[in-house]
Amino acid sequence: MSSRALRQPLGLKLTSASFLALWCIVAAFPIFWITVMSFKSPVDAFSSNALNVVFGPHTRDTGHGISILDILLGIAVIWITARIMTKTLPGMIASYAPGGQKWAGWVIGVLVVAIGFLVTFFAILPAILDVLNPWFGPLGRDIIGLTTEHYKTVWVDRGFSNNFKNSMIVTTGVVTISLTVGTLAGYGLARSGSGLAFAILIIALVFRALPHSVLVAGYLPVFISSSEWLAPILGENAPTLYGKPFAVIAVLVAINQPFTIWMLRSFFQSIPAELDEAARVDGCNHFQAFRRVIMPVMWPGVITTGLFSFLLGYNDFLVTSLLLDAQNQTMVPAIAGMFSRETTTTDQVVAVAAAVSITAPLFFLVMVFQRQIVSGLTAGAVKG
Amino acid sequence: MNFKTFAAFVGPSVFMMLLFIAFPLASVLKQSFYVTQPIYDTVEVETCSPGFPDQICVTEQKSVPQLDEDGKIVEITTFVGLQSYRNVLELERAWNAVKTDGLMALQSIDFWKALRFTLTFTLITLPLVLGFGLGIALMINNASLAIKGPVIFISLLPFIITPVIGALSINWLFRGDGILTALIEWYLQRDVSMFAQAWTIEVLIMLYRVWHVAPFAAIVFYAGLQTVNSDALESAVIDGASRWQRMKYVVIPHLTPLIIFISMIHLMDAYRVFEEIVGFSSQGYVISLQWLTYDFLVPDQAGNRSISRASASAMLTMIGIAALLVPLLRRTWQDHKGDH
Amino acid sequence: MFKKLALAGALSVMATGAWAECAYENTTPLKSLSAGFEAWKAVTDAMAECGNFQASLDQDFREKQPEAFAAKPALYQIGGVANSTMVPLLNAGTIRPLDDLVAKYGQHLKPNQLIKVDGKTYAIAMMVNLQHLMYREDILNDLGIAVPTTYAEMLDAAAKIKEAGVVEYPIGATFKTGWNLGEEFINNYLGEGGAFFAEGNMPNINNEKGVAALEVMKALTEFMDPEYLVSDSTYVQQQFQQGKIAMANLWASRAAAMNDEAESQVVGKVVMAAAPMGSERPASSLWWDGVVFATNMTDEEAEAAFQVAMEGMDTEMVKANNDAAVWLIDGFNAGPLAKGAYETAQKGTAPYPGSGPMGIMHTVLGNGISDYLNGAKDAATTLADIEAAYITAAKESGLVQ
Repeated sequence: MSSRALRQPLGLKLTSASFLALWCIVAAFPIFWITVMSFKSPVDAFSSNALNVVFGPHTRDTGHGISILDILLGIAVIWITARIMTKTLPGMIASYAPGGQKWAGWVIGVLVVAIGFLVTFFAILPAILDVLNPWFGPLGRDIIGLTTEHYKTVWVDRGFSNNFKNSMIVTTGVVTISLTVGTLAGYGLARSGSGLAFAILIIALVFRALPHSVLVAGYLPVFISSSEWLAPILGENAPTLYGKPFAVIAVLVAINQPFTIWMLRSFFQSIPAELDEAARVDGCNHFQAFRRVIMPVMWPGVITTGLFSFLLGYNDFLVTSLLLDAQNQTMVPAIAGMFSRETTTTDQVVAVAAAVSITAPLFFLVMVFQRQIVSGLTAGAVKG
Repeated sequence: MNFKTFAAFVGPSVFMMLLFIAFPLASVLKQSFYVTQPIYDTVEVETCSPGFPDQICVTEQKSVPQLDEDGKIVEITTFVGLQSYRNVLELERAWNAVKTDGLMALQSIDFWKALRFTLTFTLITLPLVLGFGLGIALMINNASLAIKGPVIFISLLPFIITPVIGALSINWLFRGDGILTALIEWYLQRDVSMFAQAWTIEVLIMLYRVWHVAPFAAIVFYAGLQTVNSDALESAVIDGASRWQRMKYVVIPHLTPLIIFISMIHLMDAYRVFEEIVGFSSQGYVISLQWLTYDFLVPDQAGNRSISRASASAMLTMIGIAALLVPLLRRTWQDHKGDH
Repeated sequence: MFKKLALAGALSVMATGAWAECAYENTTPLKSLSAGFEAWKAVTDAMAECGNFQASLDQDFREKQPEAFAAKPALYQIGGVANSTMVPLLNAGTIRPLDDLVAKYGQHLKPNQLIKVDGKTYAIAMMVNLQHLMYREDILNDLGIAVPTTYAEMLDAAAKIKEAGVVEYPIGATFKTGWNLGEEFINNYLGEGGAFFAEGNMPNINNEKGVAALEVMKALTEFMDPEYLVSDSTYVQQQFQQGKIAMANLWASRAAAMNDEAESQVVGKVVMAAAPMGSERPASSLWWDGVVFATNMTDEEAEAAFQVAMEGMDTEMVKANNDAAVWLIDGFNAGPLAKGAYETAQKGTAPYPGSGPMGIMHTVLGNGISDYLNGAKDAATTLADIEAAYITAAKESGLVQ
């Protein structure tokens, strides 16, 4: 839009910018607010006076607080992390990771940065500040009440890390299988103009319209008694599907298939068919063409679709709460359980801290992949 | 592509959908025409439970299901035709209510109450989601390059946040003297209770859904805006088209497939509105069709569940969605025929 | 080999922390499924000290328990149930009679703890819970109001408190649509001496007693925060803690929170009393929670499970968690917090009448009463509609022909 003719008048620009600012506030406020709440003592967190929630006088009186210096250094660390995530990391991956293994580069890179951030922010920084604060006089005095004890309760005492691990298992499974199965189907559907292909798409759409609660309630008795009805086929080792992450993964993949194949189909349609036809003229069959020609160019669409699968697996409540038991429960039902049984206000703030904890990985994920999402969508992952 | 190759590509996906969706769907359809129930015997039972200081024993007539030799409950399944649908729809009662008290009387019957809200919810949020989505997309597109990244990031937050958590945080912000209710009270200078009447809850539920879904629409539209043909725009400018006309004749037609895509997804999801009802615990005032299905389905504390009515209600929900989708599907069908 | 290693590792981990206070070492792998409130956490934590035990405290336990106990072998050996949630297990025959085990390992149990059906023990109760009056002693004393013993007196007191301007909403109640609201009606209807069913499981609530119960509820709402239809026990407890209400008919298990210094601004000011009397009985119902054991497991497993459960429900556990519940177990020190529960029970409170039909009745009541409270229907229509909804559901489940 560099052309002069399309330049906009100042008034319009200002209106647009101020509405955008307003939207950003609306979008971020609830998340910002529960984050603030999670760092306060129960009395402050549920206070009806907004200033009490923000400044946490009660929390400060109990000896937990941060000074201006703390805030400045904290912001600096966050800013540097964001900078590394969005600027340095992509560059490093581009130069160091070999072409085919970009994803591995990303996984390792993100992990290193995330761990580095956690260590710096929660271990190194407090240690440094303990030493520095007394030196800086008023700048080093606590002005805002803030406590991380609820996070300690969640992660250390309540064993939330186990739920985190379970969530990771389920989510990773859902994303990998969903994309493997979905990519093949999406490609097949995109390249076949037959009525059958279209019928499959329409039926998939109908499937997507089915209320999930009905499906899921139907699974429960079948999953619980599976070792009985599977015994004739699998003998004594027949598994009880209830409480098994792989069974939940299969269910979530299936539920998500309609959306996945629709998205990937329209993405593959935007890749010119001449590409793989040329490969087939060179003697490749469909699968070889798919592997050699399509796979290298399909990543933008696959990453975008993958992100939606990730959100589904990570955020699911209905399936995971019903089909998993306490030992392999994921984070969302664990938190819902906390809210439904917690009877004290302290416990509620702990649950809020858990809620913020589960949002944090999503934060990182979007920070890293945001450009890929947009480019994937632009490249045609959505064509209707 | 021959059929064999096609089947190999599509097979795994179709198999999973058949196993986990089509098969349960078929059984739901069947269950909606049948009723399965145990055979009860009435027996006199003495039950003793704790009291102060001594036990309380009560002798009552109780209905106890018959067990077979394996110790399983004997169940009989009978074909009841459309009876479960009739039980859900309560047509006769609805008709009488309408005849005597007018249309509003339908509100006293669960299914119609739920249908009323579900339809209102779906049809009001749809234009809002499309409008806000497009608006945000245009604003992001207008923003300078330096802030685009952060703005997209913030815009995506409501979409990625776990729905359960999102609904709960709205709950904290508005319930009782929640921070935003306090703000409204301060602005209006009077006491406000957001959860004490139906319309405020309905507004909250709709706003929450728009907040949650508009970012998805926005990001899709934004992606679409990147591919608008700038030559077409420039020639429109040369022809003297106003900003609004350019929007109407160049940008919107370009985005039409995306608008249809978003509408389809949104109609399906909004018609199944459920989490908000539970999250806002609004069932005293407002219920939705999927909530009704869910309510039939969850066992009460004594283990009874209304599977047949739940199945019937689920099928009715699907029919509703299908009816809403027909116009959009017809277009997709025409596109498909046009393509090939 | 790998399995052995993992097992050894797991055992060594347990060895460090487990068996801290358990009298013996449990070697049979056991699992339990129960609700998740504080008392269950205390009991299952104590069971876990014996080793080889995993507890599921699950908000969906109601939905999972019947299926999981019907599996062969049962997925959980130990279950946590209450008056009503025992019904489906008992009906399906998936929980076992315990008389042999009680004779062998449960000699110390009080007769009051044994839940008997037709003379056979099917469950061991650990605690009772019921709703009773909690009030702000300071407010009532300041205004010279006597402790209310009926709803009429409670309404009078509320009017005086409101007039004096002490608090804006003098009464709190667990009127959240669904289970809570249904329970409130059941309490009031029992207080009026009503019976829920007539011959053949037919509903029997559309009568003067039912109308009276509804009218009391509506009168109470005049003095409640207008958001009462979303207010559950935790919310009422918070209203108390923040000094926003003066009286409530609240669960005994919530009493301890009033004196929690970290949260409550009314420490020592809330006093427990008997639930308000209806025409015949207190407007309350007596609940118990306890453990049951699956039929579908070996007798050896059953013995191990029973022993572990007894360790979890022992005197030490009660001493460590005295205020978490009104325990039935030996060693419970009934302080002033338990006074309300005792008085309510001694005035002749009926046990919650758990049964198949009652499950349906509770649900339809919970869904139907809000229409009356928010003015959409009058009392008789509301009750008639609730009865109609009950009949539809009961016919579908075969309880009504």
